[in-house]
Amino acid sequence: MSQKRIHEDQKYIEGLKQNNSFVIQSIYEKFAPKVINYIKQNSGDEDKAKDVIQETIMTIYNQAHEKNLKLTCPFDAYFFLLCKRKWLNYLKKSDITGVTINEELLSDGDDALELAFETTLNEQQHELFEDMFQELGQACKDLLKATFKIKSMEEVAESIGVTYAYARKKKSLCIGQLTKMVQASPKYQHLKP
Amino acid sequence: MQEKDFILFDDYLSGSLDAESIQAFENRLKADADFNLAFNDYQQAEAFLEHKFKNEEQNQRFKENLERISSGYFKKEVSGKAKVRRINPWYYSVAAGVILLFGVVIAQQFSSPAYDDFANYGTISLTVRGSENDLQNNAEKAFNNKDYKDAEKYLTQLLQKDQGNLELQLYKAVSLVELNNYEEADVLYQNVIQSPSVYSNKAKWYLALSKLKQKEKSESITVLKSIPEDADDFESAQKLLKKLE
Repeated sequence: MSQKRIHEDQKYIEGLKQNNSFVIQSIYEKFAPKVINYIKQNSGDEDKAKDVIQETIMTIYNQAHEKNLKLTCPFDAYFFLLCKRKWLNYLKKSDITGVTINEELLSDGDDALELAFETTLNEQQHELFEDMFQELGQACKDLLKATFKIKSMEEVAESIGVTYAYARKKKSLCIGQLTKMVQASPKYQHLKP
Repeated sequence: MQEKDFILFDDYLSGSLDAESIQAFENRLKADADFNLAFNDYQQAEAFLEHKFKNEEQNQRFKENLERISSGYFKKEVSGKAKVRRINPWYYSVAAGVILLFGVVIAQQFSSPAYDDFANYGTISLTVRGSENDLQNNAEKAFNNKDYKDAEKYLTQLLQKDQGNLELQLYKAVSLVELNNYEEADVLYQNVIQSPSVYSNKAKWYLALSKLKQKEKSESITVLKSIPEDADDFESAQKLLKKLE
């Protein structure tokens, strides 16, 4: 993946990363109509399309930060695939009977498919981390929050009244515990490509 | 994995191992698949936490901005659709006549394009949760209400605290153009244009509009020609260019 050339549409990813209103606006103007159309033709409506698009942009934003997302295909194809997947998943989950899904053949190229697949996995992984974090003990939650907010471990140690060495050790053990919980989750197995 | 493994991960990542231990660690990564997987997941957990907490306020701001733009977009979509009504065929001939008449009038007007036809700066959003709320709020409100005198004043105050902020510089330049203070505006535009930022192309388009307002046709053309094809305003720029040339 790292060998591939970065597509010029990477500017959309950078724009989202920086919360640039111009970029967000132009994503809506250029790419939303196709998604709205698709959802409307497949048992949805405008409100649903609004949610799907918003969630998809949020996903891309998170991955731009967490995974340093690099676009190797046109944004259009990537964005549409992600929205489409999200919508089909929603239909599956909500168990709407009598749904006819117009699955068209994809001609977006392998790069887009591959990247969209990877993004979907990463999104599920993000959700799994989120769920497991909530399961951690309060002491670990507090320490991790302080660690990543304050940055300097000396200050963290001081703020919770422990020694520097203890705070550091505890931090790695808490992350370790989170790692273990994630790995033990039944969902974890589905997250490996 | 055991506790000591996680402590080892942290030592490795924070660079507190000596050369020999680093070598041993990396060898183990190659030889022990479980260890490798755990280390990988440990790093992902760290990236997740970093984004979640370090960027907490930034993430919240993004969410709010996204919500605002999304609602604005869909409102437009809905109201655009609502206007579609069935028209009595008889009206078409009347409409055609009216359009023809308008066409003549517009064609005359557009022979020299007016600044007001192209200057559409939209609305801006600066509001951030936190202490500077008031000033940002005021600047945003003034700008969006087209009260450029106040907008310029507030943006200047904001820039005093955050000199390098290109987004603020861009909005201030727009306000200055509206106040006919071109010289100062052009300096700001040039500054933004020269930055490797996402605002660079926007600034080119606005600078071209500023030149248009100053009736400096050839300068406007030069700037318009420098707007690349992938810029958001490329089409508008081409439209204006056609009318100017």
